[in-house]
Order: sequence, then structure tokens, then C-alpha cells
Amino acid sequence: MSTKNKTIKEKLAELQLLIDWFDSDDFVLEEALDKYKEAEALAGEIKKDLETFRNEVTIVKKDFSTE
Amino acid sequence: MENQSPRFSVGDFIALTNQTLEYAYTGVEVEGEVSSFKVNQGKFVFFDLKDATGSIGCFMMVFQLRIPIEDGMKVIVRATPKLTNWGKFSLTVSQIRPSGEGSIKKSFELLKAKLTDEGLFAPGRKRPIPTLPSHIAVISSTQAAGYADFIKIIDQRWKGMKVDVAHVQVQGDVAADQIIRALRYFNQLETVPELVVLIRGGGSTDDLAAFNDEPLVREIAASRVPVVTGIGHETDKSLADLAADLRASTPSNAAELIVPDRVEMIRSIDRQLHFSLQRTEDAISQQITSLTESLGGLSGRIEEIILAHERHLQHMIEVIALVNPRSILKRGYAIIRGDPEVGSSIKIETLQQIITAEVKDVNQK
Repeated sequence: MSTKNKTIKEKLAELQLLIDWFDSDDFVLEEALDKYKEAEALAGEIKKDLETFRNEVTIVKKDFSTE
Repeated sequence: MENQSPRFSVGDFIALTNQTLEYAYTGVEVEGEVSSFKVNQGKFVFFDLKDATGSIGCFMMVFQLRIPIEDGMKVIVRATPKLTNWGKFSLTVSQIRPSGEGSIKKSFELLKAKLTDEGLFAPGRKRPIPTLPSHIAVISSTQAAGYADFIKIIDQRWKGMKVDVAHVQVQGDVAADQIIRALRYFNQLETVPELVVLIRGGGSTDDLAAFNDEPLVREIAASRVPVVTGIGHETDKSLADLAADLRASTPSNAAELIVPDRVEMIRSIDRQLHFSLQRTEDAISQQITSLTESLGGLSGRIEEIILAHERHLQHMIEVIALVNPRSILKRGYAIIRGDPEVGSSIKIETLQQIITAEVKDVNQK
């Protein structure tokens, strides 16, 4: 699944699903390695986003001193 | 000699007096104690403002009354002096605010009780604050230290968030109205932010008075976007705080409550990944143990089968040994071959010899 245009929040939610799988009844050893690799790659992307992204602060142009 | 004094009609004189008063006392403030407070027809407010030396009648519209007033409260009014068409002098009040700690507290308690009765502060009205918001709105003065603290902490803790800031005054007479306009602005956007944060650093009771303004408190309670307040210091608790969905003790605390710490988040991700790996390794270990146990069981069963066959074989060997003619001969018995009839010859086999003998006599037992 491509995560290129996803927000950090969406990526974190996706990672949580992957992590939860390991503790769920769906866990099967045959799939574990692939799931782990997927989680590891996603975690890497999130870390990178958290290091490189900036908050976008915009001052609203509207003048609130008048109606 | 003709009188040079100007002469007016009554109406003109009243108009001129009002013009003079308006010119001389534009936006005058008068401080005094309220008495004979009453609201007529739900629209018109009348009261007297007095001190030890005198009393002035005051008039205002009910919508201009932003705080609860009752007799005995000390207040400051912003007003224009006016002479009515009936010759009565009064103050037309545009703003009124409590004065002195006692009156401020009294006004606060009256409004708090009123809004509490209406359920504006009920815990059931509080909405959950979205976790990891990607778009927030901030209402604050961009020159305020509290705002700078908030943005600094947000930047330290989290990234990739859209922050729209409405610059407003956060103290003084105009503050409440500006904040109300900003709240309405964010609430009316096509794509509303996930939450609105109202920020103001510490200050005196008077500085923070805007956050106890009734229309503002009602606007916060009515906001469709959840509101977080970070006003003043830990000990300051305004009515805006009570109406908000979440109250932070300071602007910095508001930033901490809104977004997680990314450093802690990265640590948490690493921990969870480690647990996932550990879970996989545990599963592999369990599989190996299970296989080993299965093989061990199989091996034991095979050994049991072999042992049983060995025991059976041994038994057979013993049986065969028992019926072996040679064994019988060893015990001293002999084998006789041939018909045992008188005169015939028979062969007698012992362990060591084969003897040919003639039958001399045969007796039945």
C-alpha cells in the first residue's frame, strides 16, 4: 500500500493496525516477517516525517477589530 | 441697551447642551455604586450610579450588558452624558464593568451561577479533543508572550500541522468581541479546523476580565469546533475555561495537551516494533519447541515398538529353545525311531549316540 500522500496521523493509524496484528488471533508465523518488514518501513517513514516536516503557521488576514 | 445673551428655544438649548456635553466628555468613564437597578420590557436598563456625594441616573440597552449587575456593586461605566427632552440629566452607558475585587468576584459568581443553571459548564457537554490534529486554529494576540510560548512548544513537540492564527486583542474592552468574531470566523469556514485554541498569557484579574464576558462564554459553549483554552496561569480559572471542552492551565500546557511529543512518539514506535519482533521470535521458538517435542514423542514411540518386538522375539526364542529336541536330549531324554514291535529293530538317539536296538518285549501301560 502506498503511503506517499498520507498524513502522519494516517500513517500512524496504519502502523498501529500492523502492530496490533502481532498481538491478535490473526497472527501467523508465515506472514509475520512480511508484516514486520512493512511495519518497519512505515515506522521509518513516520520518523522521517517527524524529523523533516514543519508546522505551517498562517496568520489569518481578516481584521477582527471590526464587524 | 439690548440683551446680548444668546436666546434658544427649549429644544435647541437641549440639543446644544448635548452637543457640548458630547464634545467635552467623549467616552468618559464614571465609577460608582449601582442602586435601583432594573430592566424594563426586557430591553431597557436603568440604574443610578452613586457615591457618598451624589447620584446620577444611567440608561443602557440590555444587549450592552455583558456582565450581571446588581445593587451594591461597584462599577465603572463608559458613557455619554445626556440631557433628556424632559430636562433630566443622565448617562447613556455603552459599557459597564465591575470595579474592585469584591465586585469583580461578585459579578463572576453571579454569571457563573446563571450559566451553570443553564448547563453551559456541564461535563456532559464536553467533547473529546481530537488526537493528533492536522489542522488547528489559534485565537490570540500574536504579540503576546503566551502565543510565542504556545507556538514554540507546538514546534518542539509535533510536525506537519496546519496552524491558522486569528490575531485579536486579548485584554481590554474590545477583546471579548474580537475573540467572538474570530470564533465565528473559524466556525463558519467551509473546512473547519479540528479544534480552536484560545491563548492568553498571565495577567491581572482586570487583564483577564474579557474571558468572563457572558457573550464570549456563550460563543465558546456554542462553538461547533471543540475549544481548548490556555488562559493565564494555573490559578486563573475563567468562565471561558469552564465553557471550553478542555482547559489547559497555561498556553504552554495547551500545546502539551493538544499534540504528543514526537521524541516520545518515536521511542514508542521503536518499542512497539521491538515487541512485534519479539512476538515473532517467541512464535518461532514455540514452533521449534513444539516440533522438538513432537519428534521426541515419535522417537519414544518407535523405541517402545522396537522394545515390544524385541521382547516378543526373546519369548519366541525361549519357546523355541524349550521345544528344541537337542535341549530335551541334553536333559537326558532319548528319541526312539521305528515301530516298537517285538522282534523289530528301533533306533535310539541320545545326545551323544544313535543306538540300534531290538525290541524284546512291549507292554501296554
